[in-house]
Amino acid sequence: MNDQWTDRLSEYLDDELDQPQRAALEAHLAGCEVCTQTLAELRRVVGRAQGLDDRPPATDLWPGIATRIGVSTDDLARRRVRRISFTVPQLIAASIVLVAASAGVVWMLSRQEPVSAPVTSVPSSQARPVKWVARADSSGDHAVEELRLALQEGQRAGRLSPITVRKIEHSLAVIDSAIAEARRALEVDPNSDYLNSHLADTMRLKMQFLREANRIATAQT
Amino acid sequence: MDAEAADVALAQSGDGSAFERLYRTHVPRVHGLVRRMLDPGHADDITQDVFVRAWEKLHTFRGEAAFGTWLHRLAVNVILARRKTLGGERRRFHEDGEILESVSGRAAAPEHGVDFEAAINRLPDGARQVFLLHDVQGFRHEEIAQMLGIVPGTSKSQLHHARMALRKYLDR
Repeated sequence: MNDQWTDRLSEYLDDELDQPQRAALEAHLAGCEVCTQTLAELRRVVGRAQGLDDRPPATDLWPGIATRIGVSTDDLARRRVRRISFTVPQLIAASIVLVAASAGVVWMLSRQEPVSAPVTSVPSSQARPVKWVARADSSGDHAVEELRLALQEGQRAGRLSPITVRKIEHSLAVIDSAIAEARRALEVDPNSDYLNSHLADTMRLKMQFLREANRIATAQT
Repeated sequence: MDAEAADVALAQSGDGSAFERLYRTHVPRVHGLVRRMLDPGHADDITQDVFVRAWEKLHTFRGEAAFGTWLHRLAVNVILARRKTLGGERRRFHEDGEILESVSGRAAAPEHGVDFEAAINRLPDGARQVFLLHDVQGFRHEEIAQMLGIVPGTSKSQLHHARMALRKYLDR
């Protein structure tokens, strides 16, 4: 059983042999029932491993984790309840008010004299929101596409009114406009704490808006 | 919708609800890994440690790999670190004969999943770790070698011996 071929069967199974070794082993397998049988059994073992059942723990571990990371489970429960009670108009109104309230400040800051500190002197803590935005941007692209499809389907099926769809699309455009404005302001003043935070907040708002809008659109389709 | 990517971004900004959703999605697999790699009696505690650690390290996740891959790798690191503190680690990498002899006992129903897990648990530590990381978790030998501080050839060898031992068990 411990011949030179048997010891290579796992590598063969995992496609880790080079072409000459693979060809040689296959030639051997063609005439060796024992190795062929062993290979089939190894394949079963791998299949069994990949099919192992993963169950959640018998006890919910989240409350303990939430305590340790400083997140209140009571707060989370309330937020979940409140999120479920969102309506489309509430969602749209909240988004527009939040964006509009901060957009004026961005406009004023973008017209002030820029702070001329070199980029290399920016502490990492200040630069973090921009990095986060880059990641959120990519996530947002997927979310926007998914929302667009959900809205189309809802409208096609006649279960989502055109007015609602237009309002959601308009809100998204308002948020995107605020993001673009914040980015233009950051080009003038890249070291502004406020602008970096504002951009991160607006991106976060966009993500939350997309999730809620998608949930609503999906629920109605 | 790539809801997980959105949740990761939200959790990175401090959103506990988003992190809870990530926890709900991934806890079965993480708990399973911990349970199989260590004493099941420690599984709950160490699973909690994994998610607390993930929360603390979330800002380092840059989306270069799937979040699940990042989390499972972090889980392996937590598990291996805990193994050291738990102490009493057995000799990790055994010779072929020892492995094959260690998986003994006839299962009442060899095809039953629980018995297969019992057979895995009887493997020597090193072979079990490599088998779980490669065949169950899907890590590559190079990754396993890095995590366990061995060379890839040892990882391949341990995997083959583990599979052979389990194959023998299934034959009974």
